[in-house]
Amino acid sequence: MAGGIQRLWRKLAWPWSPASDREASEAIVRNLWLHWFPAKVSGRSLSWSYSLWLGTAAASLFVILTVTGVMLMFFYVPSTERAYGSIKDLEYAVSFGRLLRNQHRWAAEGMVALAFMHMARVFFTGAYRGSRALNWLVGVALLLGTLMLSFTGYLLPWDQLAYWAITVGTNIASQAPLVGPTARYILLGGHFVGQQTLLRFYVLHVFFLPAVVWILVAYHMWRVRKDGGLAAIEPLRALRRAEPREMPRTKSYSLFGLTPGTSVAVASSMGLEESDQVASSPNLTRRMMLVFLTVFNLTLLLSLFINAPLEGPANPSVTPNPAKAPWYFVWLQELVSWTTVHLGSITISGGLLGGILVPGILLAALILWPFLDRSTDAEGVWFAPERKRQNAVFVVITAVIIILIVVGAWLRGPYWHLYWPWSPRPVLPRVL
Amino acid sequence: MAERRDQSLERQDFAWLVLMSLIFFGLVAIGLWREYATAWRPWQREFKLVLAHAGRFQDARKFQPGIRQIWNPELGVVDRCVSCHLGYEWGGILPAALRQPLTPHPNLSFMNRHPFDRFGCTPCHAGQGWATNAHAAHYGGGGWEEPMLSRRLAAGCGVSEAELLQMRCNFCHRRDRSTQGMDAINLAKTLIKKKKCLICHSVEGQGGHSAPDLTYEGDKDPEQFDFSHIAGARTVFNWHVEHFIAAGKVSPKTAMPDYDMPPDQARALALLMLSWRHINYPPQYIPQPQSAPQTAATPAASSNH
Repeated sequence: MAGGIQRLWRKLAWPWSPASDREASEAIVRNLWLHWFPAKVSGRSLSWSYSLWLGTAAASLFVILTVTGVMLMFFYVPSTERAYGSIKDLEYAVSFGRLLRNQHRWAAEGMVALAFMHMARVFFTGAYRGSRALNWLVGVALLLGTLMLSFTGYLLPWDQLAYWAITVGTNIASQAPLVGPTARYILLGGHFVGQQTLLRFYVLHVFFLPAVVWILVAYHMWRVRKDGGLAAIEPLRALRRAEPREMPRTKSYSLFGLTPGTSVAVASSMGLEESDQVASSPNLTRRMMLVFLTVFNLTLLLSLFINAPLEGPANPSVTPNPAKAPWYFVWLQELVSWTTVHLGSITISGGLLGGILVPGILLAALILWPFLDRSTDAEGVWFAPERKRQNAVFVVITAVIIILIVVGAWLRGPYWHLYWPWSPRPVLPRVL
Repeated sequence: MAERRDQSLERQDFAWLVLMSLIFFGLVAIGLWREYATAWRPWQREFKLVLAHAGRFQDARKFQPGIRQIWNPELGVVDRCVSCHLGYEWGGILPAALRQPLTPHPNLSFMNRHPFDRFGCTPCHAGQGWATNAHAAHYGGGGWEEPMLSRRLAAGCGVSEAELLQMRCNFCHRRDRSTQGMDAINLAKTLIKKKKCLICHSVEGQGGHSAPDLTYEGDKDPEQFDFSHIAGARTVFNWHVEHFIAAGKVSPKTAMPDYDMPPDQARALALLMLSWRHINYPPQYIPQPQSAPQTAATPAASSNH
């Protein structure tokens, strides 16, 4: 009886413990889905406290977005006449349609936030230097790709929120000197947001950008392995390198006889000892499963209880009061509104400064940072004292952006005036 | 050493995996329940009983639960109102005193020329036809600008529900001189003539050009009106009412005289203003222009329906 229950439990729990290192490694190497993992990883790079698993969480969201997105494509019609109605159908008539759309929406906004948090983690742990600089650049491209995906998706419901957010966003972009108006024209497929814009954004959103981001994600992962794994192992690797090493008892032979050093069996290519590493399967795979499941549960929880916003159908002749860019761009809108100066009847637009120069300089700083960073020996540890000043700069810029987002998204009310969340806002006039 | 670490990781993560899996199944169960427990299901269950109670056993047996809609692409109508308002076409068979949302639609004199399957619900009643729950259908929410024309909304405007609905009748009937059953709008149309509005204003290309064109007055956004001199409710309807009574007070710079008209006339005119919208209904829905009335002396005589 007890044996039967145990057998049943083993079936349900589906446990797998490899009998040998070889079996564990083969589970990774021979599997199509898992072979991009190393057969062994350092225990430290698996820790929760080092990486917070933010990159994996962001990638999990991208998987969720791809699957829910493909499902939404079966219902969505990218035409100005049908788009809004097809979203309404999803919300009210399609089985699980509302859940699907909510999950896509919250996963998308979560991915923007997590991609940024992952970047912040890499920055604070100084994990972008040396050979990892290239992967940092890929990461910056991925952040931009995530923002572009989110921005193009924002237009698709074709409601007032979508229409005016894209109008505000692309108007800011048009402030760029020389190329601005042309870039806006190409992006919109005309001089204002219309059917051509919807179609362009749709194609970018469902094909072009996801393809680019998926390819970059694959390259990003491959580079992590090429760079020797997470930077978390660097302190350990330095330690091992510095350790006095005994000559192995067994002799190593080269073509020319005895040679000093260790044999391949003793130190792995990572420069770590056997004891520093664990088999990827099941340690890494199980933890990835756990991260994915947690992220999936969070998006499902949000989707069940909070609905994605949807306003009235897009109306080019009526601007909502206030019209706001999506939250991850609202800090730029906020900057533009602060830097726009009224001198009597003359208005100097802050579009160039707030919309182009500031984000341009920030982007350039992100790209160049690994090459400007002169700190040494502070890789793979959080808040290394040597990097105090760099971290302070990053924290201040991030804090300013977050404050601007909070002000823009929550405190701005009708007529772009500031209101506390608890203070009453003017009731806008209605028809009836 | 390696062996021991494997096991400690396994113990840590396994418990969390089990917990997360249980949460996952719990959330999926909530999702399934939400999908089943829709707002319309209890009403459909009750309607089945109502049918059986009225002796329509065959119909009760055939009744299948599910979302119902009146779909008319010509008008862009997708009216799922009938998922709950199930008795709408059962007038004469089911008791008229049945409680809402199951009440049969009153059999009004013009209903035979406005069949449900051609007109749906929202062209007359407004509201959000897509929605499948009462709040979203009646009030819309989230920037939905066409709330259902309810008795409460009408009371807020100082008119009856029927009068408020006439505003939407006039979407198609705007070129009628007068239409049976549209007393408020008919009154407004005679006032337009009597007060000689078209000396200054123009409507559909006719009239003067010294005052704003009113052809699509009903499409103007609330924010395009100046409410700073409005004493009552901040609605476009009320703006028009107060403006018709004392234009100079509402818009101090206007050339429009103060008509000082009785409130019911001002309200009728306000309804007419809101009815003048750019609505693209197909031509077969627009009534034929009436032949010149035989006796143009009184507006009542010209209504020859």
